[in-house]
Amino acid sequence: MVAPDDFKTPLKPTWCPGCGNHGMWEALKRALSEMGWEKHEFSVVWGIGCHGNGADFLDVQGMHALHGRSLPPATALKLTRPDLHVVVEMGDGDGYGLGMGHFIHAVRRNPDITVIAHDNQVYGLTTGQASPTTEHLMHTVSTPGGVLEQPANPIGLALAEKATFVARGFAGDIAHLTDLYKQAFSHRGFALVDVVQPCVTWNKLNTASWFKERIYKLEDTGWDPTDLDAALNLSMTSFRELTCTPEECRVPIGVFYRAESVDTYEQGLSATQTPGWKRAQAPRDITALIDAMA
Amino acid sequence: MEPRFPYGREVRIRIGGPAGFGIKAAGATLSRVFARAGYNTFDLTEYPSLIKGGHNTYHLRVSEDEIFSHVTPTDILVALDAATIALHLDELTPGAAIVFDPHDIAADAIELGEYADDVCLVPVPLTDIVREVGGVRIMRNVAALGAVLGHMEFPLDGLIDSLRHQFAAKPPEIAEQNVATATRGYEAAADAHCAFPYKLAPVTGAPTRILSDGNTATTLGSLAAGLGFYAAYPMTPASSILHYLAAHGEAEGVVVKHTEDEIAAINMCIGAAFGGTRSMCCTSGGGFALMVEALGFAGVSESAIVVGLFTRPGPATGMPTWTEQSDLRFAIHAAQGEFPRVILAPGDPAEAFEFAWRAFNLADQLQTPVILLGDTYLSENTQTLAPFDSAAVVVERGELQVEGEVAGYARYAVTDSGVSPRAIPGVVGAQQIVNSYEHDEFGWGSQGEDAETRRAQNSKRLRKVDLARTLVPAPREYGPREADLSFIVFGSTKMPVREAMAWLANDGVSANMLQLTCVWPFPAHEVYEFLERSKRAIVVEGNATGQLEGLIREFCLRDPSHRINRFDGRPFSPEQIYETAHLILGDERESDHTPASDEGAR
Repeated sequence: MVAPDDFKTPLKPTWCPGCGNHGMWEALKRALSEMGWEKHEFSVVWGIGCHGNGADFLDVQGMHALHGRSLPPATALKLTRPDLHVVVEMGDGDGYGLGMGHFIHAVRRNPDITVIAHDNQVYGLTTGQASPTTEHLMHTVSTPGGVLEQPANPIGLALAEKATFVARGFAGDIAHLTDLYKQAFSHRGFALVDVVQPCVTWNKLNTASWFKERIYKLEDTGWDPTDLDAALNLSMTSFRELTCTPEECRVPIGVFYRAESVDTYEQGLSATQTPGWKRAQAPRDITALIDAMA
Repeated sequence: MEPRFPYGREVRIRIGGPAGFGIKAAGATLSRVFARAGYNTFDLTEYPSLIKGGHNTYHLRVSEDEIFSHVTPTDILVALDAATIALHLDELTPGAAIVFDPHDIAADAIELGEYADDVCLVPVPLTDIVREVGGVRIMRNVAALGAVLGHMEFPLDGLIDSLRHQFAAKPPEIAEQNVATATRGYEAAADAHCAFPYKLAPVTGAPTRILSDGNTATTLGSLAAGLGFYAAYPMTPASSILHYLAAHGEAEGVVVKHTEDEIAAINMCIGAAFGGTRSMCCTSGGGFALMVEALGFAGVSESAIVVGLFTRPGPATGMPTWTEQSDLRFAIHAAQGEFPRVILAPGDPAEAFEFAWRAFNLADQLQTPVILLGDTYLSENTQTLAPFDSAAVVVERGELQVEGEVAGYARYAVTDSGVSPRAIPGVVGAQQIVNSYEHDEFGWGSQGEDAETRRAQNSKRLRKVDLARTLVPAPREYGPREADLSFIVFGSTKMPVREAMAWLANDGVSANMLQLTCVWPFPAHEVYEFLERSKRAIVVEGNATGQLEGLIREFCLRDPSHRINRFDGRPFSPEQIYETAHLILGDERESDHTPASDEGAR
């Protein structure tokens, strides 16, 4: 078993003190370790953003993809390498902005991958512009008069396309997050863990204390994660008011929904069951295909 | 109407009508009948971008001799509507026939004008025949095929065999209904007593040939190379590759994905290549435009992928179903930054097969993207050729390790060749970040901003260009070493130029051709050497601005003396090349033929 600290590289994290990425990094190392995965048994694909800088801090066999494009290579890796677990790390600007199309289509496909979204509700690395999940009317450098769009609802969007595992985590609760990651890794099918996190530098609204006053755990309420309608309704009532008090808007974390016996995309195609490199060990015999052209 | 061009022993058939009449299917059946009877065939399908209506045609050239391209004239015109006659009257040869259905077109309403003495009308009651055998309206095309053979007095057996084969999976009465339809069409044409001036001689002992278009050839070459992943978004003229692989890929162990867009397609290919799988995505210019950023990602991350770019007239949506060669510069320069790439430009289906499997080897050996550059003319038109040389296929995966373990692994180790050891996920110890950022030898992006590291990694990647030059196919030369006329081409233009060269040889004009099979890295030495021994160097390319011509100036510091350009969506015809060649030579012969496109002889 790889100890959590053995997933560190010689490079030290460069995130701001207090950034939610520290907690997410810690939870990820712990979860990978507790899953018992060796370093050659899984791959991690990052998008671009502050979260993506984490690619340098995790000693894995991974890929740091283009901005917004982590899901397509991760999906294809899974479809051609059934022997690997595949984890995606993406940001809210990255995965729900430029990559929103890929996100919806990846959910529809239900590949057996886990997607961890670093959702700090702002663009960090490009210095504080509004992201798709920034709260309505919040002021940022790209929306000085306030965001006019409704925020994207990743939990609800995933549920609308019948994602088979949908959870929200909080970067400030490492033990809870570690457990969510492990549940997601163990799930067969597309698993989304949308992790709300403070951005201490750019998001002065959704701060750590803002979250701590509002967060509650679904499992503490007797939540039934097999009820899709209830999960959809809950996703619509999450924090959606800029100035709401802790009593007015609460932030549920935990597993919103899970469906364990849905076929994955890979199960529909026998070609996905063999590592793709085995197809190119020697020229393929295409005699019959050529003969059919005579 | 005296013949102006030295055509060989051949017959040209055009089937025309609105979309939805089964014209392409009928033409394909006919070409198979002649191919199986031992003739050489070349077809040209032209159609607008719609599903019903408009004007579709299928032009089929059948020859006893070796042929290289389509030609312009028509000896038998099958008119499934009146518009077809008016649109194609001027291409009819002396003794030509028009097969038509008197149910749709009244014989006395057909205006032949100056062609009246030379053209014979063959009324065939296609609609009545189909009704009598109890068939459906689309089967009129089967009656028309029977009529074509009847008019030619060509044995009907081949068509009957073909129909029985085509409908083998259906209830037997379907096949017999089609056979009866074809037979009645055959008899009705014979009753018209239009003498056909040319009889195809029976062929004996013809070698085995196959029928293929460029897309099928590309697909089979890729399969032979061990393709394991294909992703695409539908786009003409690349879509038939997706269709073929969707139908056959599962049985061949290929994961085939119709993606949400071309951005996903190429990024998926990069992900599959990361896992060691041979991956390809094919598209046309618009889809390639969406792929551009990821092409650079493949370059900097040193990912072995193959991208098919099969061009059509642009910009933007352009002319979706027509042909053009105007994305040469786009392919060469696509994506920000500088990175090595290889662009192969097959000139016919045999090369489309060969370059497809070579592209996968090059991608692996160089760990960089390889582009297959074609166009609609090559992608979609079918011809007879020798069966693909699958025995020649080899799989060369370069510095790839797929199993076992590595120690002290550095994915982007700086080497003399520029190629680094590539161990895929699953190999014990192969920790790495395959990165879209500049990076150090381990792939760490934060370290790539160091000035010396950047220089070392960028230089390492660009060193692979030197290696590429030793691995790519050399330009191919046709014709005598010294000649009066020297053509320089890339891609499908090779086909009509070869045809025109054969005609010029008939006239005693010597011509040769340099075909750039790999357009990038640009083969400057070979082009320079060819220019140096050319009396008249003519660049023939399907674009308006002379993109290949400009590359020759840039890399050879020489001006080709002449150019022929075409950008009306139609492929070069051998007639156009042939006539322009004579113009360049200052031929005194009078010609009333006005080429259909912009062209110039400087």
